Amino acid sequence: MTVKIRFFARFRELLGTDIVTDVAPGMMFTSLITTVSRKNPAGYAAIFDENGTFHEFVILMKNGKRIEIADAAKTPVEDGDEIAVFPPVAGG
Amino acid sequence: MIAVQTGDVDIGALITAAKKQGTGAVVVFDGVVRDDEITEMELEAYEEVAVKELEKIAQDATGQFRLLHVDIIHRIGSLAVGENILIIVVSAGHRPAAYAGSRYIIEEIKKGVPIWKKELTKDGGRWVPGDHGHGKGPA
Repeated sequence: MTVKIRFFARFRELLGTDIVTDVAPGMMFTSLITTVSRKNPAGYAAIFDENGTFHEFVILMKNGKRIEIADAAKTPVEDGDEIAVFPPVAGG
Repeated sequence: MIAVQTGDVDIGALITAAKKQGTGAVVVFDGVVRDDEITEMELEAYEEVAVKELEKIAQDATGQFRLLHVDIIHRIGSLAVGENILIIVVSAGHRPAAYAGSRYIIEEIKKGVPIWKKELTKDGGRWVPGDHGHGKGPA
């Protein structure tokens, strides 16, 4: 199955965006982002702390809806999902 | 009009359109690129989500403050010093509601709408840190 990952702002600069990737059934949100972000150590460090946990300021979305960090490790990704990961917003 | 777009807008035309029947006050908020020793500003948005959230904020503000009209236009792309970033136009029967509604909208945008700014300087660039909401931290 295939999902799309969208990083924004500083995360986009480090990791790219609109990344379409094949994932195994049962893959969890956190595992997916861990795998993809490891391609760039600076990108990984921007998103995860030294324990492999999302930095508390990171914002996660699945199909436009917020996913709490505490729930990400047990939230499966599904075929066709759009996953978004971004830093705190600064519009206005 | 609720939009996230690269182009500028005619604020005068928005004011004219905001004067619905019963209007006693129109408040315009115009956020502009400040001259903080930058060469330009780059703005980026998670557009689909940002538009939906702006629509929700407009709807909430309309209900809460009995606004007669709301426009929110947030620009993205490269903007020079002095250019418009965000235009909010609201109308209401009386000025307290118009002011309060406008203030509510800008504060809600800053809390959670997925838009980011990068200030470009002659030495490089820096992301403007988020100053509100979920998990305040480095951007």
